[in-house]
Amino acid sequence: MGLTGTFAAIGAGLVAIGTGIGIGRIGGSATESVARQPEAVGDIQKLMLISAAMIEGVALFCALICFMAK
Amino acid sequence: MATPADSLAAPLTDAALKRQQVMEYIWHHILNTKPGHGPMEWHPLPFVPGIHLPDWLPLHQLMLLIAGLLLIVGFCVLYRLRKGVPTHFSIVLETFIVFIRDEVAIPSLGEHDGKKLTPLLCTIFFFILVLNFMGLFPFFVTATANVHVTAALSILVFVVMIVGGLLKNGPLGLAHAFIPGGVPLVLKFVLFPLEVVGVFIKTFALTLRLFANMLAGHVAIFSIIGMVVVFGPIALPALLMALFILLIEVLVALLQAYVFTLLSAVFIGQVFHPEH
Repeated sequence: MGLTGTFAAIGAGLVAIGTGIGIGRIGGSATESVARQPEAVGDIQKLMLISAAMIEGVALFCALICFMAK
Repeated sequence: MATPADSLAAPLTDAALKRQQVMEYIWHHILNTKPGHGPMEWHPLPFVPGIHLPDWLPLHQLMLLIAGLLLIVGFCVLYRLRKGVPTHFSIVLETFIVFIRDEVAIPSLGEHDGKKLTPLLCTIFFFILVLNFMGLFPFFVTATANVHVTAALSILVFVVMIVGGLLKNGPLGLAHAFIPGGVPLVLKFVLFPLEVVGVFIKTFALTLRLFANMLAGHVAIFSIIGMVVVFGPIALPALLMALFILLIEVLVALLQAYVFTLLSAVFIGQVFHPEH
């Protein structure tokens, strides 16, 4: 059956769901912490960027696998 | 992915021809060589259409050389020309270098090692930054979108980790870095191989993170442009989406260079100064 392309696309969509939830939670808790303590903006921003980059790295590994499975 | 060789098998329909044209357009702007044809026949030198690269000089290699040349000219020549009071160019360079020393190297590696390893981290950071930004200009290609280039940079970090750990702490000290602290003895036996494998996984993750981030942005942009070929002029508003993705690419280029440098510093720090 010629459905490998479809399954790869569905996989890429699932990856996007996971990434969206993960990075959304990071952004949410980062803004809450800044609201609690505005003078810690620098530290919180750095931590947020690092965590977001890590999670996005995982998401892109999986997107790469979806590319290769096409 | 269908290769050009497949097209010789059957007569091409109109849709298949367009699909192949789009795929060749995408490959042309990303890959090092023309697939199935050997050396670099098609992507000419930047600025000068019509001149083809010689056989021994792949396209991404040319980009690496241009980036290296830019960095050498920028740091060794233009920086030396400063006269006492810092002006624009030296302020920019010094901001970045002081940032890397104070926020990336010293928190992860301590005072002494931080200052010793700042040149390495600055090299990695500026090299990746220049390569990433070069990919956003019209006639240039992103060399970091090639897994071999990012793998080479990660192997460099790996070698610094292992050889530096050996030179600094000795072989026993290097093994001590992989023993997790604060767990019972039985778990130490279980977690030790996991930590050793973890070093390789960290290196692998470094290469794939940078490579996938750089490649994904460019493939998305070129695919959207390719949609105009497939669907005709009615798809032109989609170019606004491509422009938006290009703007995000600027942020991603800077961020990925910073993340690579930061994680290199953290991993090297974990081997140099085990925290237990």
